[in-house]
Amino acid sequence: MGYRITAKEDLSPIDYFVEVEAPHVAKTWKPGQFVVFILHERGERIPMSVYKAENGRIGMFIRKLGKTSMQLYYEYNPGDELWSFVGPLGKPIKVKNYGRVAFVSDAVCGQAENYATLKAMREAGNHTISVQTFEDRERVYPEKFLAREVADEYYLTTLDGSVGLKGHYLDVVKELIEKDKVDVIFAGGKLGSLAKLAELTRPYGIPTYATVRQIMVDGTGMCGSCRVLYDGEVKFACRDGPVFDAHKIDWEDAIRRNAERFAEQERLAKERYLEYLRAKGVI
Amino acid sequence: MPKLIKERVPTPERPVEERVKDFGEVNLGYTFELAVKEAERCLQCPENYAPCIKGCPVHINIPAFIAKIKEGDIKGALRIIWNDNTLPAITGRVCPQEDQCEGACVVGKVGDAVNIGKLERFVADYARKHGIEEELLCEFEETCTGERGKVAVVGAGPAGLTCAGELAKMGYKVTIFEALHKPGGVLIYGIPEFRLPKEILDHELAKLKRLGVEVKTDHVVGKTVTLEELLEEYDAVFIGTGAGTPKLLNIPGILLDRIYSANEFLTRINLMKAYEFPEYDTPISIGKKTVVIGAGNTAMDAARSALRLGSEVTIAYRRGREDMTARAEEIQHAEEEGVKFEFFLNPVEFIGDENGRVKAVKFEKMRPLEERDARGKRKIVGTGEYVTLEADTVIIAIGLEPNKIITEEARGLKTNPNGTLVVDENLMTSIPGVFAGGDAIRGEATVILAMGDGKRAAKAIDEYIRSKKASA
Ligand SMILES: Cc1cc2nc3c(=O)[nH]c(=O)nc-3n(C[C@H](O)[C@H](O)[C@H](O)COP(=O)(O)OP(=O)(O)OC[C@H]3O[C@@H](n4cnc5c(N)ncnc54)[C@H](O)[C@@H]3O)c2cc1C
Ligand SMILES: Cc1cc2nc3c(=O)[nH]c(=O)nc-3n(C[C@H](O)[C@H](O)[C@H](O)COP(=O)(O)OP(=O)(O)OC[C@H]3O[C@@H](n4cnc5c(N)ncnc54)[C@H](O)[C@@H]3O)c2cc1C
Ligand code: SF4
Ligand code: FES
Repeated sequence: MGYRITAKEDLSPIDYFVEVEAPHVAKTWKPGQFVVFILHERGERIPMSVYKAENGRIGMFIRKLGKTSMQLYYEYNPGDELWSFVGPLGKPIKVKNYGRVAFVSDAVCGQAENYATLKAMREAGNHTISVQTFEDRERVYPEKFLAREVADEYYLTTLDGSVGLKGHYLDVVKELIEKDKVDVIFAGGKLGSLAKLAELTRPYGIPTYATVRQIMVDGTGMCGSCRVLYDGEVKFACRDGPVFDAHKIDWEDAIRRNAERFAEQERLAKERYLEYLRAKGVI
Repeated sequence: MPKLIKERVPTPERPVEERVKDFGEVNLGYTFELAVKEAERCLQCPENYAPCIKGCPVHINIPAFIAKIKEGDIKGALRIIWNDNTLPAITGRVCPQEDQCEGACVVGKVGDAVNIGKLERFVADYARKHGIEEELLCEFEETCTGERGKVAVVGAGPAGLTCAGELAKMGYKVTIFEALHKPGGVLIYGIPEFRLPKEILDHELAKLKRLGVEVKTDHVVGKTVTLEELLEEYDAVFIGTGAGTPKLLNIPGILLDRIYSANEFLTRINLMKAYEFPEYDTPISIGKKTVVIGAGNTAMDAARSALRLGSEVTIAYRRGREDMTARAEEIQHAEEEGVKFEFFLNPVEFIGDENGRVKAVKFEKMRPLEERDARGKRKIVGTGEYVTLEADTVIIAIGLEPNKIITEEARGLKTNPNGTLVVDENLMTSIPGVFAGGDAIRGEATVILAMGDGKRAAKAIDEYIRSKKASA
């Protein structure tokens, strides 16, 4: 067993691309669905969005955030194997001809979903609009990893304006919906921005779907770790989502739960791992 | 007529002070000498009468295997058990014997019932450690040709593992598809090490491998592969996907931090080894005062695990002491280890602090009625009085229901209103060639019933494939 890494590349100083051989997953993956992997026998089950599923391989964008994402970056290279890789999990989004479809994103998972979703939406005959927000020039991904190639209309923004438009995707969305018709908006990335997006589009009645990241264990509906309140009802993000109608999600709890539940332990694990890297002279 | 000895030969157990500090097994089981001594208490009821045989859900010939223990013939004893139960090391540890074989035992009418569970466990453990099982297993190797046909098994819990093993012995090539990264079902993610050491499960899995069974982990049927695809490639399919989805309470505060379902709490600990964090990467966050809601095996396992992680633990149950559904031994162990019990408390609200963490649970006090429900439990009503228990960690263990992943995708699979699969008397589902058993058809039940279903389904699958091949 084991799932071979076939490629790894920097996307920016904080994010990287990794591609893994997982034909069982690549064969049936559809936009909206995610995967779960484990690095090694002592590893944690880590959910990830998918950038590309082609030729039996799954490509992902990953942020160096804590222990696992850093370990994968610093200790695993093409040729090495991941211990476990399962998917596709979650419900696919409905790919059909909506007319004008936008995907907006401001963080790593969202950038992957942006490309994957609009690629399918364009093939389904939609006019695709992509908005990708990065912090600054340094953190913008290389051109070949941007969603420009699958977008009929493309907007790149940076928060400091060092490249592209200055501002956030929220600013672009506001202009877009005031200026033009947008039939449906999909979004991924920071949960706080997704909550704001929901408020922004609500008065316009534009259907808005967001990837609701929550802390997961199994990813198959067996533990309830990923539960969210949707329209006042408990739903499991891994099984009933992860993409939900953004207007019906209780964002406040979702944001807190994603950040706080294991913050103490995550900090400890990261510190310990950084120490290990320093001792080995890697950083 | 042998002399009736009223008292059981006790099984050695690790002292409380020692065992609450780790996850090692609590009950150490009989030694050879002690087992023979306990076996001598059996009155050897004739097979057509023996109430224990009737009390066992799979009708093991109990007096016969106990007679073999008395003779010191452990291989003979194992052979008898294996006729009906292929997982005795496991069921001997986890069956609710007091409601089954031991509950029916004649000796139990005047004294302690014969300790059938621990004797069963002894046979399996002794046989495993002394190479006896290995000898017996060799006898099957000839029949394990894998040439009779191909069967796919979905889910590697006790139902699926048993079905796979039985079919392999009959000469089928069996592939198990398991969603998680490790096989075992509840035996690996739910039941803690202190009740069921993982080496026992590992051993069962190694046995299956020897019989030629292939296990594909990381495969979610309904997502990674569809049932339809399986039917194209295999002569038949067995579904043993269990009842893996936790029921949560529909009350305010359910999203507060440090409120876990028992499944999440136990999976983090057992499957992911969070009790060894940070050596293992999966975290768990637990405070000083844990309240566990529910009183089944799951609740006891969660409570005793929380205790081992250093928390004080109170089990709060909406019914009374005599209504608890956990095995007697688990309740006793929990009490010995210092778990507190509160009865007739029904949770109505979780109260959080300013950081969104649970700090208390509000309960309504309940009162029992004379009237009984369908399961024979006293009905309860609210009293309108409320109490609040302080809690910085809450574990909800109020039951499980079948996971919908497979039925949402395979629309042809008929389900009952509670989500369990509809099957006929041969355990065949509404799709021809697709069989099912265990918790997937029963809802939350037991290991022995899941095992029994797996065995029964294997026979039905064999007949189905034979008749299909004969008519082709
Ligand atoms: C559906 C889904 C899709 C995702 N897609 C991507 C993606 O494309 N790229 C990417 O970089 N990240 C993605 N994530 C988040 C990713 O799973 C976490 O960043 C990762 O688990 C962090 O692990 P760590 O050990 O490096 O960091 P840690 O220090 O352990 O955690 C950092 C933060 O990551 C999140 N996190 C931690 N553990 C989990 C977990 N088991 N499940 C979910 N979130 C967790 C929490 O918000 C936590 O505060 C996704 C999460 C979900 C649920
Ligand atoms: C904490 C706990 C303690 C318990 N204690 C006891 C006890 O002491 N005694 C007792 O007799 N019973 C006990 N039980 C109940 C007992 O464990 C179950 O009745 C038994 O495990 C059911 O077996 P099963 O094979 O039907 O399902 P499970 O053991 O639930 O196994 C099902 C397997 O199928 C997999 N699966 C699910 N969906 C899919 C899919 N779509 N594709 C692929 N794989 C899938 C799951 O990951 C799992 O591995 C306990 C249960 C729990 C939760
Ligand atoms: S399988 Fe369970 S009920 Fe049957 S004899 Fe063994 S312990 Fe008793
Ligand atoms: S991650 Fe366990 S139910 Fe969603």
